[in-house]
Amino acid sequence: MEDSVWKAVQEQCPDVHQVDLLIALPSFNHASTIGSVLTALLTGLKGSFADASILIINADVGSQDGTPEIVKQTVGSLFPLSLIQPLGEGTSASPFALNRLSYSGMPGREEAFRSFFALTEWLQAKACVVIDASLRSVTSEWISLLAKPVMEKGADYVAPVFRRPPYEGSLTNNLIAPLTRSLYGKQVVCQVGGGYGFSQHLASFLLQKQFLWEADAARFAIDSWLTTVAVAEGYHVWQARLGARIQDNKAGAPDVSTSLVQAVGASYLFMEHYQDVWEKQTVSSTVPEIGVPVDGELESAPIQVERMTKGFRQGLRDLLPIWEVILAPETLAGVLALGLRDDDDFRFPLALWVQTVYDFAVAYHEKVIHREHLLRSLVPLYLGRTASVVLETRGGGPQAVQQTVDQGCQTFEAMKPYLVDRWRFQ
Amino acid sequence: MSEMWQEAMVAAFRETMSRGVLFLPKLMAMVTFLLVGLVMGWLVKLLLMRILHVVRFEVFCERMGLTPAFAKAGMKQRIPDLIGRLSFWIVFLFFAFMGVDALDLPATANLMSAILAFLPNVIAAVLVGLLGILLANFSGEAVLIAAVNAQLQGARFMANMVRWGVNIFTAAMVLTQLGIAKEIVVAAFSIIFGGIVLAMAIAVGLGGRTIAKEALERRLRREKTDDEFTHI
Repeated sequence: MEDSVWKAVQEQCPDVHQVDLLIALPSFNHASTIGSVLTALLTGLKGSFADASILIINADVGSQDGTPEIVKQTVGSLFPLSLIQPLGEGTSASPFALNRLSYSGMPGREEAFRSFFALTEWLQAKACVVIDASLRSVTSEWISLLAKPVMEKGADYVAPVFRRPPYEGSLTNNLIAPLTRSLYGKQVVCQVGGGYGFSQHLASFLLQKQFLWEADAARFAIDSWLTTVAVAEGYHVWQARLGARIQDNKAGAPDVSTSLVQAVGASYLFMEHYQDVWEKQTVSSTVPEIGVPVDGELESAPIQVERMTKGFRQGLRDLLPIWEVILAPETLAGVLALGLRDDDDFRFPLALWVQTVYDFAVAYHEKVIHREHLLRSLVPLYLGRTASVVLETRGGGPQAVQQTVDQGCQTFEAMKPYLVDRWRFQ
Repeated sequence: MSEMWQEAMVAAFRETMSRGVLFLPKLMAMVTFLLVGLVMGWLVKLLLMRILHVVRFEVFCERMGLTPAFAKAGMKQRIPDLIGRLSFWIVFLFFAFMGVDALDLPATANLMSAILAFLPNVIAAVLVGLLGILLANFSGEAVLIAAVNAQLQGARFMANMVRWGVNIFTAAMVLTQLGIAKEIVVAAFSIIFGGIVLAMAIAVGLGGRTIAKEALERRLRREKTDDEFTHI
């Protein structure tokens, strides 16, 4: 697959053999947004990287709305441009794959990333910046924020940090980020999508490690995959504050259950790969940041707490035989007690939530039931915890929500010995 | 008269004795087969249980839902114990039938060959049964979790329907494989299965047409029915 991508680039840009900066845009029917994304990027490139050699890559996975034509028109002759098809010649997306879209909502995104890693290595690029073509909030500063830490500060990976409304990214804030922090000792917010920057060093490593590409994590959760591998392998990670993240539409995004299976499944899977790393890690540290935090409250989307508590109670009623197999007896007793509370008084204690997440990780490791069933059965518990966070912080504003997220991270770290003990001696 | 009676008695005695002498080795052979069967059965059971222990078969059964399914059916024994016991009896019966065959009785002639000819059907039926139970549990669990996550009422009912549907289908396949009341099983299964499908079609067509339409529209348009905030 990488060979066909490299051939396509050589045919379209025969004079390009080595670049300083590779700009990569995965796209799929993004005609309505890709023009403004490119305009912002071109402004940023002209302003901050006027002397650098640059190649722009558009990995389109079969748009029917003229996205590649818009890319050609917008870039014109300003920079070398190559349009590639990451699925490669002679292959096409399986119709069944539509049911297994990643939480990014874009088909072929994972293959596109692999092509970017390969091109970064072949072109010996100092840095590669990937920007999602579906965004409406890309500014000219993004390129600089994502590329400069790699090109000037020695960073290997730059993850995005967006200003989000309270409760947005609830799964990331309440599970993925605290778990990643407690496991690998890096305080990364683990937000996904939008934009990334990475070095040739990291790209080469990712290409070489075949085992990383074999699991579902690489196929359906490339964003979580990238961050987790970077922190677990001890690469120099930075975070870039990019401002708001406004996406065109999320019509193709899977439901909460599938998103959880993909994202949490990736985290649990890497716990097995990196057991030696996380067992030794006892404290966490901050990672360097670039960009200025933007103040101001963003409007929160409507949240139906009743629907979440209903989901939790239904899980408690119907999934108990499954939870009995997964959860430790004391955790199960704590969860059972939650069913007695009224909706308004409903609280899912943080310590119990952390214990639940760790019990599920151990059960995933032990394969006590089919892994996808195990992950899907976590959904009602996650809804219960999310409902509890909303009820606990209602009226408190973004600060109260952030405080709860921080407490969550600390509790995950404090209770890590529980995980280590159960993982070793289960 | 007395001589004739005496001769008849002696001839009968000799005949019986000669038959007894001819039968005794066959009887000894049968007893030997039974003893060997006991020893071999015990050895096979021991070996099989060791292998199952090494490959953590009990954990596998737990994971695939076999242990809970057997427990629900009132089976208190551990599955490896059950398989061990089964293997003992299979080996023992195999030797026992050989022993009976060795007696060379007209009533049991060709017993062994008949049993051996039927054995592939039994093995196939056992495999189909086991796979069916596994599939029923797996499908039932998947439906239960999916229905709970979709917050559908009657999630457990749906899961049980699927589980029992697969179990009934498996039972029909097992009976067909064994050749037991083949025609009746096929007819009964066709009637039950066809009846269920027809009932569902009528129910959806007449009673739930609007609901089905709305559900399909929601599905195809992927309208968001849960909270509007993103989880990731």
